[in-house]
Amino acid sequence: MSKALDDVTVLDLTTTFWSSIGTALLADFGARVIRVEDLPKCGPGEHQNGWDCDVELAQRNKLCLAVDLEQESGRAIVRELIPRVDVVVTDWPRARIEQHGFDYASLCVLRPDVIYAHATGFGPKGPDRDLPALDELAAARTGMMPILPQPGQPPVYAGVGQMYTAVMLALGTMLALHHRQATGVGQEVDVSLLAGNMYGASLDVQAFLAMGGERFLHPVSRLDAGNPMSGVLYPSQDGRWVCLTMPDTDRWWPPFAAMMGLDQNDPRFDSHEKRCGENRLELLQVLDHAFRQQPAAHWKQELNRRQLSADVIEEYDYPASDPQALRNRYILELDRPGVGPVKTLGFPIFMSDTPARLNRMAPGVGQHSAEILHDLLEYSEDRIATLIADGVIA
Amino acid sequence: MSAALEGIRVIDLTVWFQGPVAAQHLADFGAEVIKVERPQGGDQGRGVRSIKALPVGDWNQYFLVINRNKQSVALDLKKPAGREVMYRLVEKSDVFLSNMGVELLESWDLGYEKLSSINPRLVYATNTGYGRFGAVTKPSFDMTVQALTGIMARLGEPGQPPIYLGMGSGDAYGGLMSALGILLALYHRNRTGRGQMIDASLYGAQLFLAASTLQKYLAGGQAEHAKQQSRKAAPNPLRNTYATKDRWVFLCLENTDADWSRLCRSLDDQKLAADPRFDSVIKRRQHASELIEWLDRVLAQRSAAEWLTRWRAEGITASRINNLAELADDPQTWENDYFLGTYCEEVQRQVKVRGLPIGLSKTPGAVNSLGPELGQHTEIVLTELLGYTWEQVDELKTQGVIP
Repeated sequence: MSKALDDVTVLDLTTTFWSSIGTALLADFGARVIRVEDLPKCGPGEHQNGWDCDVELAQRNKLCLAVDLEQESGRAIVRELIPRVDVVVTDWPRARIEQHGFDYASLCVLRPDVIYAHATGFGPKGPDRDLPALDELAAARTGMMPILPQPGQPPVYAGVGQMYTAVMLALGTMLALHHRQATGVGQEVDVSLLAGNMYGASLDVQAFLAMGGERFLHPVSRLDAGNPMSGVLYPSQDGRWVCLTMPDTDRWWPPFAAMMGLDQNDPRFDSHEKRCGENRLELLQVLDHAFRQQPAAHWKQELNRRQLSADVIEEYDYPASDPQALRNRYILELDRPGVGPVKTLGFPIFMSDTPARLNRMAPGVGQHSAEILHDLLEYSEDRIATLIADGVIA
Repeated sequence: MSAALEGIRVIDLTVWFQGPVAAQHLADFGAEVIKVERPQGGDQGRGVRSIKALPVGDWNQYFLVINRNKQSVALDLKKPAGREVMYRLVEKSDVFLSNMGVELLESWDLGYEKLSSINPRLVYATNTGYGRFGAVTKPSFDMTVQALTGIMARLGEPGQPPIYLGMGSGDAYGGLMSALGILLALYHRNRTGRGQMIDASLYGAQLFLAASTLQKYLAGGQAEHAKQQSRKAAPNPLRNTYATKDRWVFLCLENTDADWSRLCRSLDDQKLAADPRFDSVIKRRQHASELIEWLDRVLAQRSAAEWLTRWRAEGITASRINNLAELADDPQTWENDYFLGTYCEEVQRQVKVRGLPIGLSKTPGAVNSLGPELGQHTEIVLTELLGYTWEQVDELKTQGVIP
């Protein structure tokens, strides 16, 4: 079966979990992704880190070339590879890129139609363009941390901005590949953690831009929610939480009221305007009291039986054993040599003719160095042996 | 200047946020996106009147921004004549995208088999709630699906309610996944001439969104990755949130001896620097709670501005924890086009909108227009693109297929 990115080779100069996931998404769909890593810091036999599940996810399906980029002969190998690659992806700081001569202008000389994707903390322009690419730093700037928790609670760092940025990195690269496919012209792609964090907060950010107001700047109590039937959490008898998402309350009120043991004709709550307007706070209190009368398992069963848009807040053990997640390959069960059976995140995108595949587990450092230099650059075995002996590659 | 997706035509049969925003990414980069809506009321997103119990004001930014750069065709797909119009549109398009239920699409005879038989080059994309396979068919709104992933349950201080990542946070991610899947399929189609079916579900996307902690839980099943963790027990006290005298800051250091010395210097606290409980990487982790308590006490004595000035001098990475008003004034966001100004027809003035999170140097995205009026382009698409005569258009109006 063919792969979506059969003819694409990516040189992967990423250094972090999230940016490496950006290139893993391309590798999952068949791109040949060559990860360039530093030489291992410890000697043979000293490497005892064991299995790293984050590496397994971020580096799967990739090849690994270990090369000492502090040596000119190491950098020369990377430059020699450029004419053979379609895409270069990096999250390096600008200063390091320029020191090594791996900037877009320099690589264009070697391959004029190269696509050059740069993942940064704060974007290619502006006074803070050289701040470190740390998700925490970008999240702190985005304005959501203070309003995620309940009033009076510390700000919350959710750690997801980086995941938006990872997909934006893959999407930006695909947009550029599509354009190159049509015109033969390569270009630079820029994504940043600030942009990813902001995009993840799209609706809050846009609502504030258009509407303004203190309500977007401070946490809103769950018992002051705008719609008592949508986007609200209620505690059940056993302390587990139920969340409701029934924005169109006219549609859901009759079966929902029945489940809660409320009179659907209660004159306080018999229209959307009353439920979300004049009697909103009262309905929040009534529901808060009602949900506390039964345990979460009861509510889950009732919600499912009535096909209401609501559910119990689960913990990670739920998806880990959810047949739906396994059936759709969102979560995979693997037998990792030397580790045994493990679970790992799978593939969020389904394609009928060119599905994502796990062809390779994450490579060891330098696992494919010789193979890459032989296959792409036609280095002789002697030359490869010399480079290893000289400590240029591993 | 040319656009990355010039020449790509997308049929956007979507409502609310995930599907529409997937198509918005394509439209921002130059695809011709034709949004197909029911004649009565259109996309439900047009009906949003309030957000967080506040009135949306004089322009419905919810709908208009998500559906920017698109055309709108109003079409009754419950009528066979409406479906005939859709089939003619499919013949002329590259992508069909829908976040309607799979059963509903089948009932309208708009399933993959049917549409790919009309146009084998078509990329057929869906946004299901829980995936193409398996038995789950219950409703799938953003927060309910987020609830199932487990990510909400592990955020916030212990004992506090679970935390939702923000309005539409999961839809936004599903929309990105959907756009990526469509681009992958288009790239493959351009080489092989064959379209295919893709799906990016809300559940699949949101599980991936939780990767930084869910992956660890899947590997080892340890509860610490699934439960709420207090900031008072953060494993690395040097990377943590702190309340200064006037506001919160995020200290973003590594737990290394070098960063530790820098921090102690900036705090001007000899006792802390000399405390044997904190004099190594391992000890700072072992005594994390005590160290955080100490830092809480010290940092509360000065304002955020004072600390950040000192920290800048020491090369310490840290930030104020901003609110949305500060984000809206942040020059970094405007200089990189993460925010843009654009003209809004509805209110006849410039408005501020979220901009372009992906930069392309030679074919940048653009916001050329905000969301269309319902059915604004119905007649022009039918006559100019699909070749209907005006008599036929009138006939479709008489039948109530188009408004």
